[in-house]
Amino acid sequence: MLLLRRSIKEKTAPYVLLSPYLFMLFVFFGYAFLRCFYFSFTEYDLFAPPQWVGFKNYLNLIQDFQFGLALKNSLQFAVIVTTLQTVLALLLAVILNQKIKGIRFFRALYYMPSITSSAVVTLIFMWLFQKKGLVNYLLTSLKNGYRIIAVFFVLLLMFQAFLVIGEKLKKRPVSCFEPSYLFLSVVLSFMVTFFLVKTGIVTMVEGLPPVETVWLNTKKIWPRNHRLFGISYPLGSIMLLNIWTTAPTFMLLYLAGLQDIPKELYEAAAVDGATKVKTFWYVVRPQLRNITFLVVTMGLISTLQMFDQVAIIGDQAPLDAVITLAYYVYINAFPSSVSPKIGMASAAAVFLGLLTLIIVLIQRIVVNAGEGD
Amino acid sequence: MLEIKLKRHRWYKVGMVYLVLLLVSILAIGPFFFGLLSSLKDNPLEWPPKLTVNQLKPANWVAAFRLSKAGCGKGFFGEFAPGAVIPFQVTYQVPAGKEPVIPQVVVPKRVPGTAGAALLIEHYAADYSRVSAVQEVKREILADHSIRVTYEFTIHHTGDVVCDRLPLDITVPLGQQFVGATIDPNRPNERLGRVQSWNNLTAGVIPYIFYNYHRVFSENYSRTTGKNLFTSWIRNSFIICIARVLTNLLFASMAGFALARLKFRGKNTIFLLMLFSMMIPAQVTFISNYLVLRDGVFGLSRIFGVNTLLNSYSGLIVSGLVSASSVFIMKQFFEGLSSSLEEAARIDGASTYQILFRIFLPLAKPALGALTILTFQGVWNEFFWPLVVLTSPQDRFTLTIGLLSFRRMYGVAFDWGPILAGSVISALPLVVLFVVFQRYFVEGISFTGVKG
Repeated sequence: MLLLRRSIKEKTAPYVLLSPYLFMLFVFFGYAFLRCFYFSFTEYDLFAPPQWVGFKNYLNLIQDFQFGLALKNSLQFAVIVTTLQTVLALLLAVILNQKIKGIRFFRALYYMPSITSSAVVTLIFMWLFQKKGLVNYLLTSLKNGYRIIAVFFVLLLMFQAFLVIGEKLKKRPVSCFEPSYLFLSVVLSFMVTFFLVKTGIVTMVEGLPPVETVWLNTKKIWPRNHRLFGISYPLGSIMLLNIWTTAPTFMLLYLAGLQDIPKELYEAAAVDGATKVKTFWYVVRPQLRNITFLVVTMGLISTLQMFDQVAIIGDQAPLDAVITLAYYVYINAFPSSVSPKIGMASAAAVFLGLLTLIIVLIQRIVVNAGEGD
Repeated sequence: MLEIKLKRHRWYKVGMVYLVLLLVSILAIGPFFFGLLSSLKDNPLEWPPKLTVNQLKPANWVAAFRLSKAGCGKGFFGEFAPGAVIPFQVTYQVPAGKEPVIPQVVVPKRVPGTAGAALLIEHYAADYSRVSAVQEVKREILADHSIRVTYEFTIHHTGDVVCDRLPLDITVPLGQQFVGATIDPNRPNERLGRVQSWNNLTAGVIPYIFYNYHRVFSENYSRTTGKNLFTSWIRNSFIICIARVLTNLLFASMAGFALARLKFRGKNTIFLLMLFSMMIPAQVTFISNYLVLRDGVFGLSRIFGVNTLLNSYSGLIVSGLVSASSVFIMKQFFEGLSSSLEEAARIDGASTYQILFRIFLPLAKPALGALTILTFQGVWNEFFWPLVVLTSPQDRFTLTIGLLSFRRMYGVAFDWGPILAGSVISALPLVVLFVVFQRYFVEGISFTGVKG
């Protein structure tokens, strides 16, 4: 008897242990997922019972101009942000993959943008992108200080050329961007430029109007007149913000990947006389393939769902310029003045889900095809 | 010789690395740093933006302490109390050939911020104060023949009620330039420099330095319940975070253990469904989930006498008991542990539950640490789902949703001070957590590859 009870207890154990998660999975995912499909074929306002309407919502969706805008914005956002943040993450990881003192401190610093909430980060960015904000101020300074900047770079070029040519005359092999010389040149030209500015030989340009670009509350697009491919200013600002916040998360993944690469591979490349760029392209990049796949997949999934930033910016930017699929779903489900259009919202949500799956699938196929060569 | 040259080379190379690291750091934390600094400023949108902040000058701290002491006898948190006599000095400069004019001093009836704050003010200092005659105390002629004059006056409290703030406006003719005062004005350039304004002379040191932070707490009260909104939001966020961290730790270890170490029917299906659920956007499931919470999880909540789980902690906690990514993290971790301990325990007759709770969980401390941090961060920063579930009253909001309402309220008037201050406060717990448990953040992300 005791044995039987014991064996029943053991048999049921996996399901007992899983039960809280299964409850979540079935109620808050499976049931919700099926109901979303069902709602997308109905007309429903959250109160009266849903009315079956067939494919009407999907047909309306295709004809809805705002849905088209949302789709365009979401795709633009996903493609551009995923690409740039992946590249930036890899770049940051390469910079941080050094064995020098204080590198842990810098790693923590670089990760900072990823720990705070989208609400906080979006608010800070909105403030920076105001008409009288820091972004416009920095642009104004760049514009007014172009002479100083030009002097700095000319000096930099001169110092570097001088050092490199000097070394080449002594018949020593040296690259044009030799980092130790570059550092010396940067420090020297900074000092000389500083001296020139302090003594008033090189000055800021006076009297130019300040940059007063409106970043958020505008319908302007870049490049101009490209209705289909142009990026609206507010969406572009959100892209910058998003790249800035998510790149550090992926940077950590790349960093872990870089540290897993065996030293012997680098040594072998060095023995074969490969340059740094070649080593990176032929040795490091293939080793990071799995991580890149993970980073791109996660990037696509999260960027296609972008919602928070649009909701927080809200009426500070024209809706058409920033609306994404996720936000389209939300404002149809909870519109501010009319009754909820759950059918439309669900149809758009189904579309978003399918789009995500298809894009991830395409990505997978592309990566697998790439593995063949 | 070559030896030295090589050494020097290495040193310069390291220098270049540090230079690049530093430049990138400016990009990474510059916006935060500047936001933190500006959250103290009177006007975070001042042009040109400056790195110097009046509120961080020790001279102003001393002045704020003295003024507040004169106002009510206390230096750190002040008010304008009966019997107070506030001495004040202000200096102006007029160009050569012009005669200085005695400035007009007024205690205005002014409320900062929104109309909501006006309702809270019971007594205006304007009704209970008298400004003494303004006297010239010092005159100085500068090298270019312009004249610099210092004036002095006192403000007396004439009534018998306590006023919580003492604002001040000083008006001078156009061309008479403001040089300095007992304490720097909050708005030195009103009406083309003709008016200098102070928000509250007797604020006390702390409210003076943290003016915007003080406003965040003191200006926001719920219209219906009278509760302090910002403290409610902080409390709500903490309660929901802690509850969900605990449930996630427990339920994710259970589910992760089952999926990683036990054999049973339907295991693969469940795992595939889990991966699938991680790919589907929240927008697909939120409508049904909203309805489930509205109806109290199929009416189950009625057992506890609750009709709906919308606008409540329990709703957010029930719908976030355990997430797929938490289960995934624990599964990955448990799969990596060796099975010898488990087999030994089985031979000794231990049950599955004993193996999980006595053997595996104590070994899982690093994973549980990472999971705690990631869940806390994820819940603290959650935006979409709370926005759907919490709509009214305002004191049920979490911090992220509260910040959105701040944006709507203050953003209209370009009053960025309280918005920045609120953002800084809501970022603070995570920054502290990060500084203390940095290792777990890094490990959590790199060994699982999933963000919470």
